[in-house]
Amino acid sequence: MTSIDLHLGPLRAEGCNIVRSGVRWLCRSGQHCRPNQVFAYCNISLEPVTGRLSGPRPFAEELELQVAFASRVGGRISINSSAARGGYLSVRGVDPWDPDAVIATIETDVIPDGQVDASRLRLLALAGRRMTALADAPSGLLPGWHGRTRGWWCEEGQVPATLLSLGICDATGVVVGEQCAFFEMFEAMPTAAQMVFVPDQPLAPCAPVLLEQLQRTPAQFDAIAAELKGFLLDSAMPSPDDWMFAGALLSVMKRNPIRDSYNVFLPAGPARLGPADAVLLSLSAEPQTILRHRELGYHVHIMRHHQAAAGPAVREWLAEAFVSVRRSIDDIKRDYEAFVDNMARITGARPIILNRMSTSGHEDISSYAPFDAPMSDTLATVASKELNLMLDDVADKRELYIVDVDAIAAEIGAGEHLPDGIHQSGPMQMLLRQEILRILAHLQAARPSAL
Amino acid sequence: MVYEFRLPLIVPQMTGGTVECVYAKPGELLKMGSKLLDVSIDLSSAFAQECPPVSFFRVVLRETALLRELSVVPGQHCRVGDILAIFSSDADENIRVSGPRAVRTTIASIMHHDGMWTGNHQ
Repeated sequence: MTSIDLHLGPLRAEGCNIVRSGVRWLCRSGQHCRPNQVFAYCNISLEPVTGRLSGPRPFAEELELQVAFASRVGGRISINSSAARGGYLSVRGVDPWDPDAVIATIETDVIPDGQVDASRLRLLALAGRRMTALADAPSGLLPGWHGRTRGWWCEEGQVPATLLSLGICDATGVVVGEQCAFFEMFEAMPTAAQMVFVPDQPLAPCAPVLLEQLQRTPAQFDAIAAELKGFLLDSAMPSPDDWMFAGALLSVMKRNPIRDSYNVFLPAGPARLGPADAVLLSLSAEPQTILRHRELGYHVHIMRHHQAAAGPAVREWLAEAFVSVRRSIDDIKRDYEAFVDNMARITGARPIILNRMSTSGHEDISSYAPFDAPMSDTLATVASKELNLMLDDVADKRELYIVDVDAIAAEIGAGEHLPDGIHQSGPMQMLLRQEILRILAHLQAARPSAL
Repeated sequence: MVYEFRLPLIVPQMTGGTVECVYAKPGELLKMGSKLLDVSIDLSSAFAQECPPVSFFRVVLRETALLRELSVVPGQHCRVGDILAIFSSDADENIRVSGPRAVRTTIASIMHHDGMWTGNHQ
């Protein structure tokens, strides 16, 4: 057995000192940890070296900044109890980032090869952009209500490739993992990467919504905001729920996550990463009917469980200002093609799309005669099959990666691992994660200069 | 012959379901292939997820039967095993018999539609 002190290692941000809180543990002292398993984290803040920055403060929009720690080798962790300050001192930045600080020791029987500095922790940086600055939760991993969260990690000489998750539930769990902090992705991918997660609230990320977001001008957004504001002011008495829902909706519509670029701090210093290299989408996010604004022509898709958060005035606005438009499979195909083409032209990002589970062990159809044509209007499994085939057609002529949820679920047993067709078990999420990382690695290999 | 339709265990983790819409009225002779009702199953109580895992299913008859009693309305939550409907082969048959057999049905996974209780009242 070898005992190795685990050091923080270097981390630098231009013009700023990195200050950290006390360490919070995610394991008990004496617990065995796998290589790359996150076992602790701290909050950090960036303090200007001179007290005043010449330009805008880096990470000004991201009020949550944290760093999580993992050992490069597996073994039994002994925590350095003095690293945990407790109380507010484990929340606020109180100690300068010291690369030589030892936060734990690991007892391991693994003999690291010469290229791995096992005494240096692997660092997972986490950042959250709040939906509103009021969503201030004082403690925990990426706490609060965020419009975007991200995690990045880096090894010497590598620039992270960025995966942006714009899916619904079937993508969310796979990307953010069980603690909503990208731990599983970090553990599964030893090379440099950045995972970005944008939630599906209140606007679900279907192709027409994403395309319009990609193309929307400031003037178009101003018109949308003015019309919504006018409707609410004309309402009898908008409720707090109405204002909060409307604010969240406008906040999401004003931003364009596909065009976002990212500040990162790395062991070698700060860097600026361009827009996402790959965008993860869910075919299940594509609705059969979508709301189109009668006057301004834009689309919204708000899932039923999120509509419930709206007050009466916003519900009235959705009912009066929009018309429900039915989408055929061909319509959805056209929307996908337009979105994929525009995204390729504007940022060069490659889409990775989770297809749909298309069989159900919960039905026992012995004859399709009782169901009217087109059966995809009624039967969920037929609709899923047609959508999956449509996706294959799109992929035939465009660079698009399909994660075959349908095949994976069928192989491992959908009844046990995908009981409602959307929400996967942990083992199934792991399989999907591996599939996505395999695609990301392929993209990295194909475009080494860009990544 | 008297038949009954009890809410079956469609999804292993379910404890009940919500009637979304009904397609038949008591007194109607339903043929093989007739729609009886749509039901939603919400597994929220079994799985902690950020959105409710709701699935929708349609019950279709696989034999001809006269609907005598329908004990549910849209929006009503039923437990697995509850009797939802009673059928008979003849109109004047006494339906208060012990141990009627289950009416033959097909269960199909369906898309949400505008006629459902969910989305209009919830």
